[in-house]
Amino acid sequence: ILQNITEVGRCAKASCEHTARSTPTLSDVVITLVEMGFNVDTLPVYAKRSQRMVITAPPVTNAPVIPKSLVAGQKRTHPAYIPSHFPEFPDPHTYIKTPTFREPVSEYQVVREKAASQRRDVERALTRFMAKTGETQSLFKDDLTAFPLIAARPSSIPYLSALLPSELELQALEETDSSEQDDQTDTENNHNNNIHDDTGADKENAVLPPGGVVPTVKNNEENMIDNPYLRPVKKPKVRRKK
Amino acid sequence: MNRKKDKGFESPRPYKLTHQVVCINNINFQRKSVIGFVELTIFPTVVNLNRIKLNSKQCRIYRVRVNDLEAPFIYNDPTLEVCHHESKQRNLNYFSSAYTAAVSAVDPDAGNGELSIKVPSELWKQGDEMKVLKVYIEFSLDQPKGGLHFVVPDVEGSMAERGAHVFSFGYQNSTRFWFPCVDSYSELCTWKLEFTVDASMVAVSCGDLVETVYTHDMRKKTFHYMLPIPTAAPNISMAVGPFEILVDPYMHEVTHFCLPQLLPLLKHSMSFLHEIFEFYEEILTCRYPYSCFKTVFVDEAYMEVSSSASMSIFSTNMLHSGMIIDQTPMTRRCLAQALAQQFFGCFISRMSWSDEWVLKGISGYIYGLYLKKTFGVNEYRHWIKEELDRIVDYELKMGGVLLHPTFTGGKEKENPTPHLHFSIKHPHTLSWEYYKMFQCKAHLVMRLIENRISMEFMLQVFNKLLSLANTASSQKYQSHMWSQMLLSTSGFLKSISNVSGKDIGPLIKQWVDQSGVVKFFGSFAFNRKRNVLELEIRQDYTSSGTQKYVGPIKVTVQELDGSFNHTLQIEENSLKHDIPCHSKSRRNKKKKIPLMNGEEIDMDLSAMDSDSPLLWIRIDPDMAILRKVEFEQADFMWQYQLRYERDVVAQEEAISALEKFPTAASRLALTDILEQDQCFYKVRMQACFCLAKIANAMMSTWTGPPAMKSLFTRMFCCKSCPNIVKTNNFMNFQSYFLQKTMPVAMALLRDVHNLCPKEVLNFILDLIKYNDNRKNKFSDNYYRAELIDALTNSLTPAISINNEVRTIDSLNPDVRLILEEITRFLNMEKLLPSYRNTITVSCLRAIRMLQRNGHIPSDPSLFKSYAEYGHFVDVRVAALDAVVDYTRVERSADEFQWLLDMVQNDPIHYVRHKILSLLAKNPPFTRAAESSLCNEALVDQLWKLMNSGTSHDWRLRCGAVNLYHTLFGLTRPSCLPLPELGLVLNLKEKKAVLNPTIKTEQGPGGPELAPNIMFTTKQEEDCIVMEPLMGGMALAPQGLKRKAETPLGSPPEPGQVLQEEPPMIKAAIKGRFPTQDEEDIDMETVHDSQAFIYHHLNMLDRPSTPGREPPIMEQALMSMPATPVPLFSKESTSSSKHGGEHHHHHHHHHHHEHKKKKKKHKHKHKHKHKHDSKDKDKDKERDSHAFSNSPASGRSMRSPSLSD
Repeated sequence: ILQNITEVGRCAKASCEHTARSTPTLSDVVITLVEMGFNVDTLPVYAKRSQRMVITAPPVTNAPVIPKSLVAGQKRTHPAYIPSHFPEFPDPHTYIKTPTFREPVSEYQVVREKAASQRRDVERALTRFMAKTGETQSLFKDDLTAFPLIAARPSSIPYLSALLPSELELQALEETDSSEQDDQTDTENNHNNNIHDDTGADKENAVLPPGGVVPTVKNNEENMIDNPYLRPVKKPKVRRKK
Repeated sequence: MNRKKDKGFESPRPYKLTHQVVCINNINFQRKSVIGFVELTIFPTVVNLNRIKLNSKQCRIYRVRVNDLEAPFIYNDPTLEVCHHESKQRNLNYFSSAYTAAVSAVDPDAGNGELSIKVPSELWKQGDEMKVLKVYIEFSLDQPKGGLHFVVPDVEGSMAERGAHVFSFGYQNSTRFWFPCVDSYSELCTWKLEFTVDASMVAVSCGDLVETVYTHDMRKKTFHYMLPIPTAAPNISMAVGPFEILVDPYMHEVTHFCLPQLLPLLKHSMSFLHEIFEFYEEILTCRYPYSCFKTVFVDEAYMEVSSSASMSIFSTNMLHSGMIIDQTPMTRRCLAQALAQQFFGCFISRMSWSDEWVLKGISGYIYGLYLKKTFGVNEYRHWIKEELDRIVDYELKMGGVLLHPTFTGGKEKENPTPHLHFSIKHPHTLSWEYYKMFQCKAHLVMRLIENRISMEFMLQVFNKLLSLANTASSQKYQSHMWSQMLLSTSGFLKSISNVSGKDIGPLIKQWVDQSGVVKFFGSFAFNRKRNVLELEIRQDYTSSGTQKYVGPIKVTVQELDGSFNHTLQIEENSLKHDIPCHSKSRRNKKKKIPLMNGEEIDMDLSAMDSDSPLLWIRIDPDMAILRKVEFEQADFMWQYQLRYERDVVAQEEAISALEKFPTAASRLALTDILEQDQCFYKVRMQACFCLAKIANAMMSTWTGPPAMKSLFTRMFCCKSCPNIVKTNNFMNFQSYFLQKTMPVAMALLRDVHNLCPKEVLNFILDLIKYNDNRKNKFSDNYYRAELIDALTNSLTPAISINNEVRTIDSLNPDVRLILEEITRFLNMEKLLPSYRNTITVSCLRAIRMLQRNGHIPSDPSLFKSYAEYGHFVDVRVAALDAVVDYTRVERSADEFQWLLDMVQNDPIHYVRHKILSLLAKNPPFTRAAESSLCNEALVDQLWKLMNSGTSHDWRLRCGAVNLYHTLFGLTRPSCLPLPELGLVLNLKEKKAVLNPTIKTEQGPGGPELAPNIMFTTKQEEDCIVMEPLMGGMALAPQGLKRKAETPLGSPPEPGQVLQEEPPMIKAAIKGRFPTQDEEDIDMETVHDSQAFIYHHLNMLDRPSTPGREPPIMEQALMSMPATPVPLFSKESTSSSKHGGEHHHHHHHHHHHEHKKKKKKHKHKHKHKHKHDSKDKDKDKERDSHAFSNSPASGRSMRSPSLSD
């Protein structure tokens, strides 16, 4: 039955729009019913039948008190360029983000403090780890674990590691070169990130042998220079060949 | 004209060298061997040139040909083993004279040489026509211990990939170590040098690279060098390795070479070399004399810089990247030094050793001019003061340094430097320390000459010398012009008088011909009535290292009305000088005070004495005298001088004077200087340390925070939080150096308990904690290292309870913090090494300091592991320093032995040298003190070391002599047992006297030995005399002769000893050669055996010859047994040449006992004679107690052909 009623409504609407109106009239309904095969004339009879059920009006309940919406802050009024007929702003809480974490400490001292201790912790952890996994030397005879020193290991080309800047330093140099302009303002934000980068680089460095600097190929211009050391090596004279 | 003088230069040789070819065919890195030949073109200058003496050491010579004729030759090197006698004296006097004699015997400047070639008789007749002789010598070197250094890293890959390289090195004239030559600075010739090396290698050498040619198999290439400018052999060098090549972008004739991977550093380090070139060429108005210049950077270098013709070899450790601050000026200085030596030293060479000071002086002087131009006048004056202080300190402590020793030769025994334990007659007998001071004094004297004749004239003189040399160098040999390229003292002085017209004779006499410095004491009083300053200047010219000064002296007086110079005459007896003051009136308020430089400034005059117009007084402000001045003036005057005098030298003097005046006013003056940006940074750095001292002295009255803390906070810490240091920014170098220095000085502060104040320690720990270099353009490794040094400085001795063993639990909490930092730094260094490992170096020092102060157990094992070969050289030296210190403190024989072993065996020459100098500086014991370390075995070991163990390195040998001197003094070491207690068998009293006495009379170089010192003990001396007689002929006669002569020739000694009968000689020879009667030398026999040996030599597979010898024997291998050399003088020319051919040795052991009672002399004689045939009876020797601890015995004589 619900389907029928919907159908009636739909068709009525359609026929009304068909006649370029927006509100269905009675005649529209009638036409609809006719089309659906009802006998319209029997309707008044049916409506006036004796044992018709009367549906009582629903009991009037107290209109539910709309709970006062939580006013979170003052609603903003429209700025001048918004016509007043536009809807009001919603409550501020709907669009103002509420921080759910503590504000980061931006105080310079604390940041430096933190950076320093973080770096120190990382370094200590790293060196302890290295010391634990490798050979160590100790300063105390009674307790070999206190102040472990990573054992000195001679290298076959000691000057390379001693002279070449480590990759970390090179990297830092590039960074400072590019950002030389922005002065030493005590920036805070990057600190945490940087520290992680650093330690990452530290580890890399520990693994990679330092001195990955590949000697650059001589510039072309230098080939123009007449220097005996750049001249091609001569072939031995042919006559001397057997 | 010096030309006349130069023409007068007479070669000590009967020939003149004109051209030399050096060809190195093969360099084997695996075996560390070199094969090659040389060809010398010589013009005989005498008729009948029959003998040619050349220098050659450690080369194995296969054949010698003169004009294609095989020529016999003798190789005899007395320096291999200085004292042959089994002398029990162990007496340094004796050694020194023997060593000097040995060096003289092969000194090319005296026409001598190790290699004596007999010109084939066929060529003798040609001598009349003065025909050219070509001497062709084939030689090889196997594992050379000196002259050439091989660096072969122990890694995978080909030699080129491993970075293996080889280079020549040496101290003074040491070219003879790697090829036969006339190893004299005064024998010039043109050169052709050829090096055939692996195709992956580059050979760098002197002169122009003419061409590079592949060998037929294309696996090697040959580098051909020509050096058309006449050059002395000591100025020839070479380096071969897989070098990276950098052509200087500014000067294409200049090429730089470095080891693989270091090219970026090389580029940066060399980027300013052209400036130095330009500077020198400009001031000398002379082009660089050679057509090209090469710099080679090698690992394990002998010295930081060594210069040779058109090429310099540097230590690779001088290379640095752009991030390094501290190394940059050092590298530049080294380069400037090297380049200065190219002009004076390489291009212009010295005529004789006694003219060395001129060349060192000029090169040092023009280097100083470069410093002045590049680093500024302040730096220059600071440097001059530093050098002056160094030489003054050295001379006052060790005795005078004589620049121009004159050896009037002959029999005179006078020694110009009796206070020294070595002879200054030869560069090779000089202590290294002395030589450094010598150079230092030479350039200071040059500066004095400049003061006298003006810089303009000075440069004109240089220009004249150079242009003369330039003209000469382009001439052919026949024009006899080449000697113009040699510089002598007299030539130089003539040039000066010609150019300037001034007589600098007195100056030269005072500083060059005479040793010592002047020591002044000054004080003054102001006479108000006369308005006169009464100045008193006294001199101390009696203590060692001083001399008397007579002449003008400048005194500058700063008065209220201005600064006035006065020149006073220092005369024999006048001590007091009256100087009238200009300032009449007492201070005019508001009047500005004019300074010396014309500046007028306001001063707060409230501090000064109201009666006197004197602000400060300076004696000899221009450092125009080599002197030390101790001047007394009031503290406020020093303070004024510090604040207002503009000369950095005056400021530094004031600072050191203020140390004695710990007052609030001094503190203020120093603090003000510290804060002043305009002030020279080195003055400010010095002020830091002075302030620390003053603060400690004023401990009780000091108010406010610890010295310098607030200053540091203000300068380098954040505004908002003063306890945190700013992130590093070293763009301003002055403040960088100050920032580095202040914590180090602060750590020296002490509180009433003599501890470093807690506040300071925490402050330094905070600096370390908050150190942040991420934003810095420069590396902070030196800064961090200095912070560790600061921690080290803060350490004080631990309170020890009953000498208990140090454990962790007993660790002081502060020390624990320090130790934690050090551990972390040291460990991080393994993962991220710092430049030149500066941090490791500082950490090692800190750990040693902790040990020494008893905070942690004293233990050398850590240092020993860092001292091993394979660590960076700076680290090794720091670790060795710690071991040396440990040895001294703990008197550890093991460590001492370990160090001495390293001296003998370490691959790096510099380290070996360094150990000896560290030991000499911080000796485990001295002659004055008793020590358990001092025992006979040690004496023997050291004796052996200097006698024969260091013959391949002059510098090392002199270092060993120095150490021996420090430990035992000049006379017989006290720890040796008295004669009766010891060796019964070997007693022969007389002998001890004998040898030195002979030396004294025969060798002009042996004046030092003072037999009376040895015998004043009136003890019986015993000694063994082993006469090494080769084949019984050459030396025996001398030996006999000497014995016979002694009683006649030797001056009577105090406690006269009588000569007893000559030793019997009994020969028991097991070899196949018959004993020869010493007196009967049959020339024919000699020649025969010569030929025989020669034959054998050729037969032998050459390289294997040495291989069979036990290692110690090697050095002695080619040596001919030598007599103590002075004996050589005349007879040796005729007889010694035969020495080499004989295959057996006679050892004569004369054991004599001699007893003396009161004035009577009794004699007991025991004679024992042993004659061992060495080659067969080595074991026997060892067993025989007579030899047991005689280093000389086992190896004295071996001729190459000994091995059958």
